[in-house]
Amino acid sequence: MAAKAASTPTTYSPSPTTQKTKPSFFKNDNVDWVRPDGRGFHQCRPAFFRTGAVNAAAGSAYAEFGNTKVIVSVFGPRESKKAMMYSDIGRLNCNVTFTTFATPVRGQGSDDKDFSSMLHKALEGAIMLETFPKTTVDVFALVLESGGSDLPVVISCASVALADAGIMMYDLVTSVSVSCLGKNLVIDPVLEEESYQDGSLMLSCMPSKYEVTQLTITGEWSTAKINEGMQLCLDACSKLAKIMRSCLKEAASASED
Amino acid sequence: MGHSNASGDLSSEMEVDAFRRLFPLRFYEHHLAESIRPDGRALGKARDTTIELGAVASADGSALAKIGLTTMLAAIKMEVMTPSKESPDEGCIAIDFHMPPICSPLVRPGRPAEAEPVVSKQLADTILRHVKHFYGHSLLLDYFFKVLYSGMIDLKDLSLVSGKAAWMVYLDIYCLDADGSLFDAALLSAIAAFSHLQIPVVSMNDDGKLIVVSEENGEKDIVNKEKRKLSLNRIPFSLTCVLHKNYILADPTAEEETIFETLVTVVLDTFDQLVYLYKPGGLVLAFTSSVQDCIALTRQRLKELQKILDESVSGMEVD
Repeated sequence: MAAKAASTPTTYSPSPTTQKTKPSFFKNDNVDWVRPDGRGFHQCRPAFFRTGAVNAAAGSAYAEFGNTKVIVSVFGPRESKKAMMYSDIGRLNCNVTFTTFATPVRGQGSDDKDFSSMLHKALEGAIMLETFPKTTVDVFALVLESGGSDLPVVISCASVALADAGIMMYDLVTSVSVSCLGKNLVIDPVLEEESYQDGSLMLSCMPSKYEVTQLTITGEWSTAKINEGMQLCLDACSKLAKIMRSCLKEAASASED
Repeated sequence: MGHSNASGDLSSEMEVDAFRRLFPLRFYEHHLAESIRPDGRALGKARDTTIELGAVASADGSALAKIGLTTMLAAIKMEVMTPSKESPDEGCIAIDFHMPPICSPLVRPGRPAEAEPVVSKQLADTILRHVKHFYGHSLLLDYFFKVLYSGMIDLKDLSLVSGKAAWMVYLDIYCLDADGSLFDAALLSAIAAFSHLQIPVVSMNDDGKLIVVSEENGEKDIVNKEKRKLSLNRIPFSLTCVLHKNYILADPTAEEETIFETLVTVVLDTFDQLVYLYKPGGLVLAFTSSVQDCIALTRQRLKELQKILDESVSGMEVD
């Protein structure tokens, strides 16, 4: 509560804060180091999806990639607000929030606003908006624990939740990011790697159609590296799609029984 | 009433589901007359309840509690603060209840749910209630008063260095799925998170700040060697009931909460003392007897919940 916060004294977390300097093994000339969780550079974390996490929602999904845990709920389609202009295609309304305990230090969740619009842009192109004219579909995400690559996990999880809600899509949207650390590209980075990265590339795509819905690149990249990074992401996306598909098939066959 | 009379003839033809949507009250009354609820429960029976400890790795203590479909995730993070001058030997606990938009179609981003501040306040009242200690001359007497009158947590247990440093406990509870009896589930998850809490070991560095140290390199002077767990006295447990005519329905679902508007929440502690009684208006005026019935139901429920909590805690210790 706001009143409570004002009366409480300032506090600090006793856990050691992340060092400002890079650990020696990330140094530019060094190409041979081990990732914090012992994965290969081009190896993704094991992915887990489950639909029907939230009963109150029209469709929902829970996703867990290592320590990154998110829940996405889909509500609607519902009538668009009166204030909105008439539209013969549907609207998509996205929101991403973090729990206060998602990050190692309390209440440091990433800029929620940014994630919300990124999620919107990544999904928009895949949804058949013309199938629900004059109405709005809500896609709400909650990051329970932030363990790195949060946005790609949210995007992939959201497309599973949309499928669970029966919203028509051209294809599932899968998303993977790579971080550039010195001379190496590491796929599906964890929080620690993201804090040291020189650049990041996130790609969201519809694997069956081989179409990219969103590509964001930040930091310093050479053209060759961008090509390499994109190829890595595309390959990982098609593998991820298989996992997501099998999760949906499992849920569908379970409900038939 | 004309509507419900007309529905009598139609009801046999109408699909059950449609009838339920159109005439929810009549649908329920049919069931209540048979002393059963649409989900197969007896009137005084609560839904299946589970507790899973340690659901959040990044927190110092956490728990996931489910009552039926209502799901609550509670996590505790410990930070260090300078205690106030009035109470140099006491820590502080901040409790926040959140209903993120994912939990219910009624919650929208940017517009917090009505229940959010209400449940936050209720939780704070139940968990943080504390009566001023009597400082008797005998330790025994002091202990006696403390056990008899104090709340669940002694804030003095949160002191690190008198007047300099104490724990600030942030307890955040997130509703992941809202299907009625939110306060009951929130309180249960909060209690479970407290029983899972492992207080980090800290030592003072050169700047006078406290930092977490691993237990192995114990050469530094550790401030809190023994206080790794909070001792919980008089744990509160709650049950919400719905009143309708002469019926009392324990642990209502969201549907039941909207159809019958009169709710009574009772909190009892493990010493069988009444901690909290809440009846926020409603159409039904509660008689003394019905309040007593609610308390009796809560007493039964307390034993159930205590068992579930004990089992989950002992399950953790085996691992």
